[in-house]
Amino acid sequence: MSMSGKLMMRRLIWPATLLAIVLAYPLVFATPFQQRLGALVLLYAIAASSWNIVGGYAGQVSVGHVVYFGCGAYAAMGAYAHFGASPLLGLPAGIVLAVGIAAIVGVPTLRLSGHYFSMATIAVAELIRLVVTNTDYLGAAVGLSGPTVPRTIFDLSFISALPYYYLFLIVLAITLLITWWMTNSRMGYYLRAIKDSERAARSLGAPASRVKLYAFMLSAGLTSVAGALYAMMFGFVDPDSGLGLLISVKILIMAALGGAGLLFGPLVGAAILVPLEEISNSLLGGKGAGLTFVVYGAIIVLIARFQPGGILTLIKRQAERRARSSAKERPALATGAGHAP
Amino acid sequence: MKFGHLLRLACAATVAAALAGTAQADDKVVKIGAIFPMTGNAASAGIHAKYAIEVALDIINNAHPELADLPLAKNAGLAGLGGAKVEVVFADNQGSPATGQNQALRLITEEKVVALVGAYQSGITLTASAIAEKYGIPFLTPESVAANLTERGFKWFFRTTPIATDFVGVYYDFLMGMKAQGAKVDTVALVHDNTEYGTSVAGTLAAGFKEKGLTILDIGYVSNATDVQSQVLQLKEKKPDVVLMISYTSDAILFAKTMQAQDYKPPLLLADDAGYSDPSFLKAVGKLSQGAFNRSAWSVGPPGSPSAIIADMYKKKSGDEMDDTAGRDMQGFFVLVDAIDRAGSTEPAKIQAALKATDLKPSQLMMGYKGVKFDEKGQNILASAVIIQLQDDGATYLTVWPKTNAVKPPALPYKGW
Amino acid sequence: MSFVIVQVIVGGLLLGAVYALFSSGLTLVWGMMNIVNFAHGDFVMLGMYAAFVVFTLFGVGPLGGVPFATLLLAAIGVVVYFALIRDIMKGPMLAQILGTFGLALLLRYSVFWWFGADFLSLPQNIVGGTLAFWGLRIEAARLLAGIVALLVTLGLHLLLTRTALGSRMLAVAEDPTAAQLMGIRPDSMQAIAWAIAAGATGLAGALIATFFYIVPTVGETLGIVAFVTVSLGGFGSVPGALVAGLLIGVIEQLSGYLIGAVYKDIVVYGLFLSFLWFRPQGLMGKNS
Repeated sequence: MSMSGKLMMRRLIWPATLLAIVLAYPLVFATPFQQRLGALVLLYAIAASSWNIVGGYAGQVSVGHVVYFGCGAYAAMGAYAHFGASPLLGLPAGIVLAVGIAAIVGVPTLRLSGHYFSMATIAVAELIRLVVTNTDYLGAAVGLSGPTVPRTIFDLSFISALPYYYLFLIVLAITLLITWWMTNSRMGYYLRAIKDSERAARSLGAPASRVKLYAFMLSAGLTSVAGALYAMMFGFVDPDSGLGLLISVKILIMAALGGAGLLFGPLVGAAILVPLEEISNSLLGGKGAGLTFVVYGAIIVLIARFQPGGILTLIKRQAERRARSSAKERPALATGAGHAP
Repeated sequence: MKFGHLLRLACAATVAAALAGTAQADDKVVKIGAIFPMTGNAASAGIHAKYAIEVALDIINNAHPELADLPLAKNAGLAGLGGAKVEVVFADNQGSPATGQNQALRLITEEKVVALVGAYQSGITLTASAIAEKYGIPFLTPESVAANLTERGFKWFFRTTPIATDFVGVYYDFLMGMKAQGAKVDTVALVHDNTEYGTSVAGTLAAGFKEKGLTILDIGYVSNATDVQSQVLQLKEKKPDVVLMISYTSDAILFAKTMQAQDYKPPLLLADDAGYSDPSFLKAVGKLSQGAFNRSAWSVGPPGSPSAIIADMYKKKSGDEMDDTAGRDMQGFFVLVDAIDRAGSTEPAKIQAALKATDLKPSQLMMGYKGVKFDEKGQNILASAVIIQLQDDGATYLTVWPKTNAVKPPALPYKGW
Repeated sequence: MSFVIVQVIVGGLLLGAVYALFSSGLTLVWGMMNIVNFAHGDFVMLGMYAAFVVFTLFGVGPLGGVPFATLLLAAIGVVVYFALIRDIMKGPMLAQILGTFGLALLLRYSVFWWFGADFLSLPQNIVGGTLAFWGLRIEAARLLAGIVALLVTLGLHLLLTRTALGSRMLAVAEDPTAAQLMGIRPDSMQAIAWAIAAGATGLAGALIATFFYIVPTVGETLGIVAFVTVSLGGFGSVPGALVAGLLIGVIEQLSGYLIGAVYKDIVVYGLFLSFLWFRPQGLMGKNS
């Protein structure tokens, strides 16, 4: 095999292994709880990857992103609660709503500098949560429930977590594909410039405000899909579980922990944090001593302290180091019988 | 590099260990799952529920002849299952409907529990019981009061506690009783938070009271308030005859303190359980709330009576006096285990049938319900409550109404501090 | 106009002063070190528990509780700075949110593990009772907290603007490299700033404990209030935090009284967002 062939094989090994693991996971770890855990990882990965578009790539740290998650969740449950329709029909409505809100919110807030922007997104999220808590049509504090007994397959109310797992996998793949396409498009090019230095980018003619807004709207739309899927899986949404700030913070730290601004960062972050939380809860939660969160918090602190760039950057650096050390060997081969037939 | 290595090894090890699953259930042990808030804002209630259930386990698994009429107390273990012991696996719902459902799934599929009890917050009871319904596992809630829980057409869901619609009658009759004694009860202020507990109970009470001709003043506030002065001032201005508090512990404490600071004493203060029953509330501001009425199905009888013995056991285990919510948790658990005993089997379908056939008499209960009998929706139609009043020591509640249960006559007006 | 409105406004001012009191530490570190501290509310919580411990062990009220809480939190602040903050400061804002969020959980549930989930409380009238004058009723404990808030704000402001230490701290905040070239050690200044901020927060917690309930999760509620106060006032401006706090307190109480408490936070957030639209750097923040 030729040298370039070998290189290509080596480069594909990691993504191929990853794909194999992800595809086979629920078949190897096949108990209902393990499968559900996997589905949850993917669900949060979708949300975190969507956030990544505006928070990681564009560098606009939105801490109130849960609002878009809630749009999807409430639209899905609302479709059932008010119209008796399948929650799936609420999904496009949720996307439209989320993108609309992002457009309205984005224009005045994206011009705020870093920390003020984050605070503004928090204020928006809390404002909407409080409005929903006081709105009977949206279930007020009681919340909205989905179909208790699934009527058709489109109600997406399965007993087993297996269908959710593969459905979420497909949605995650689409989300990552969109993200990848965006980073390699002109928009991605502008975003990188803006993230480096907005002033410089503007002076060079980048339509900064517009690009940031589009990234924001795209991110919002994708996040609402995650919200709708969540609501369909759990069959319930209320102001705390659909619009609570904790959800924003969770998806944010997943992206941060895995590596914001990296394509697979949020997935890595979700793959670490979601099982960590569920497993530590399963092991320690019942005792009533609060140890679950002592452990969870301590691990997050350690990771933040030693790998502030995220776990994926650590892995990438190791991969680069290994590539560099193997590159040192290559010149020796190249001068040898490397390209002899 | 070293840290990364270590981290990956640690992750792999933990995941492998935790995903290995737990041991199969023993034949001589009946496993029941209990989902409660063990962290978060409602942790106090969840941890007290744990204590209550642990006391119940003691009574069930050991012989307690002194508690004679209580089913399961006489023998050690479950007579209907050859003396099998009951074991409870507790899980934390972390105040999240998603976590509650995940833990319910884990308890059902990994711990192989035969029934579930929980989950305190109605939204979490909703999602957790939904998964139990899908798997055909009985789910009994001893204390979640949301009306929609029994409106889902579920076959595996049961509720022992009285709910808001029951209280409309109890409160109204009580207020009329006080009216007969000379108190004015025409305007009732409903002070409630904006959680699903506060809004749904206030809504049901408002509708019920208005129907009976009372005037309602709605004073809503945001839960976990930092300050409630505005609300107290509104009450002071509007001067309602009755103030009905529908609050969790944190806000109840704030209200009690602020009422004292603003020198406001409603002529009659009635609380809807929750915060006002919490031992923390009594310890913090009991002395400022003397004479507050509360509803409860729990009261301590004379020394030697089953309730007194249980109160003692609970105090030894938790360090606190038994309150109504913990009592309801214990009672619901007893009902569930009694059904398993009567079923003589751990098969879910048989337990479900036994639950449906439940017909417990008041003498067989530790709570003051009129009995336990479930309707076709799973609601205990004999659930009831009495009115208790906080005595001058700010620490003891005594039953004051109805007369048949009263230990002491009700004292009016509200004393406060 | 009903006289009750005056009581509402006075109550709002007192509440707002308390908000400013526990936010002053946050604005200090946020402005000086550009650090987002998601664990701020839990520092307040630690101060509250410190005061409770002092009372339980020695029967002393705020006279003992406040100095102890201040010193304890300052010490904890130093430890946290060297163990965590110094490293995540170098990282992006995300790393800071990640780290301080983890810290918040760690602190909150360590206290939960030790003290349990129950609501604790200091005796009702540990600081006088209620003062009644001019038709108003003011809780002595809240008045004390309000006065201390003014003093702390003044003290921190003077420290930053009139003392040598303060100018050194500001120099580091402005440009750490230049400051280093002038012989100032950025690390020490930042550790000191962090310790002062933590101490002020502990002080706030100890005072709040005299009239509020004490529970491990109280930091969640107070944390978000601090964030809004600090951003409205302008990150880094201690006088800004005071004005913002007072404003928020009055608006909260007035809207709660006039419209209904369930809407008060909506009004506050709405006004906050509208304000940011016109003045993106907050009341007294620096023009970026």
